[in-house]
Amino acid sequence: MSEIEVIFSPSTEDSGTFKLLELPPDLLKLVEAAVEGNSSLALSVKGGLEEDAVLCTDEKTYTMRSVVLSNSVLVVTPPQTEEGQVDRIAIRDQLHDVIELVPSLPKLHKLKGILRGAEYDEGHEDEEMDDEDIPAESSPMRRKFTYADALQLQASEGELRRGLRDMRILNVGGRLRPISPSFLNTILELILNHLVSESVPHNAVPVDQLCLALEEHEIRRTVTLQVLAWFGVIRGPSWEMNVDEVLKQVALGILRPHKDEPVSEDEFLAQWKRAVSDTFEAQVSLTLLEGNYLSTTLPNRFPALPALLYFPSSSLPIDPAARFTDLFLTRSRWKAQDIAPYLADIAVDSKERDKLLLKYARAMTDAEGVWYITRNKI
Amino acid sequence: MIIPITLPRPSSSSPSLPRALAKLGSSEVVLIELQGSLEVEGDRAGQAVGTLTFPEDNNAKPTLLIGHHLLEGKLVTLQKPLAVLRRAAPTINSASHNDEHEEKGEGRRYDMLAIVRRKIVFSKRPIPVVNAAAVKAGMEKEEEEERRRRKKVKVG
Repeated sequence: MSEIEVIFSPSTEDSGTFKLLELPPDLLKLVEAAVEGNSSLALSVKGGLEEDAVLCTDEKTYTMRSVVLSNSVLVVTPPQTEEGQVDRIAIRDQLHDVIELVPSLPKLHKLKGILRGAEYDEGHEDEEMDDEDIPAESSPMRRKFTYADALQLQASEGELRRGLRDMRILNVGGRLRPISPSFLNTILELILNHLVSESVPHNAVPVDQLCLALEEHEIRRTVTLQVLAWFGVIRGPSWEMNVDEVLKQVALGILRPHKDEPVSEDEFLAQWKRAVSDTFEAQVSLTLLEGNYLSTTLPNRFPALPALLYFPSSSLPIDPAARFTDLFLTRSRWKAQDIAPYLADIAVDSKERDKLLLKYARAMTDAEGVWYITRNKI
Repeated sequence: MIIPITLPRPSSSSPSLPRALAKLGSSEVVLIELQGSLEVEGDRAGQAVGTLTFPEDNNAKPTLLIGHHLLEGKLVTLQKPLAVLRRAAPTINSASHNDEHEEKGEGRRYDMLAIVRRKIVFSKRPIPVVNAAAVKAGMEKEEEEERRRRKKVKVG
């Protein structure tokens, strides 16, 4: 039996400086691997003073929650003033809570507001900031927002990169600028035309040749390269196109004007096929557009003709309660597979999604199956 | 604001725990859980708290003697390992520059000292003692018997 003397730490500055952080299994593995020297790990806490803190690794974001303990936990180490293996120990701090980590979604929706006014559009490529004329405090949205600024947002770097790609945000002139949807569609059109006119296979497109062709239409090389990275993979000198992504973007261009007035499904599919070359006609399918359209019928027609309305999940509120309100105002009842794409960006996995449905909707079964309806009385 | 967390690096220069405790998993930190909390009067820096008895073999229980209270504890494996973080001292800059940055939280950093997987929990009611050694000897004797009798130690 060894008897070890326990003292309070001789340093008065220790109290309040310690924290206990619960490590979920996946994070534990990352930390252990990094400690053993097998990999690197960037770990940091991010957030503004007004926000709830999150913990970010290279790829994931976790919400930090303080769990109060009924007992107190003493953090005990050898007294730091001694050396070697000691025979007494010091209480450095007394803690009453532990920080729990819950996997969560990255918080990137702020980008939309921050980058409003910085859009990159045909004819407006060169809107540079003249810093001397504009005082810094006035118009925060016109201030240059860089990639380094974006790293301050509550997201891991991996999630940030993916977010910039999904939100079609360019990094040009040292600034983050979302590309205008119509300009993006113009660029894709030019790319598709190039594939046809040069008879180039879409899975091995010579990048230089393509950039030069687009430069003739005044598309900067740096922009072309970023667009290619969004819609495929660049390997050395050649680019492999992601056909589904391109088809989807072309379709959204056709669908976009139909927010209030539906377009006949047949007409839409015909237009879509015409816009892409015959090589890709067969891959055209409405499943590519999940989360962006609603099925409806053309008004004043009998028999009813199927039609589509543009309804993108990106236009819905981030807050779950507000989103469900919007969804039920748009349609009073939803089938599970129809509502799922509209919850994908606010629920981190299907378990979370089911929890949201339980909380904000009510399930109802009839002859046609299970429908979700609102919990509130409207 | 970004607060980086540095990962534990085995340091040969820092002092290490007594061997018996280091066996719990970390040579730097051990976690001890108490019901209630320690109340201190006056300046606590460097003050003696008590004595921890940590058994070499796995069957005997650790005990903690604080003043006239003897606590009996046990080793518990944590469901989720805990990382012990310590806020690192801010780097010294010019005084005024530092205050401004402290407020904004810039330059703040936490160091992960260790990952702890087991803790010592003292959850039984303390036994008031007058002669600690005699009580401890008595306790050890009880633990040798197969069936434990409950015994209250009365003072006076």
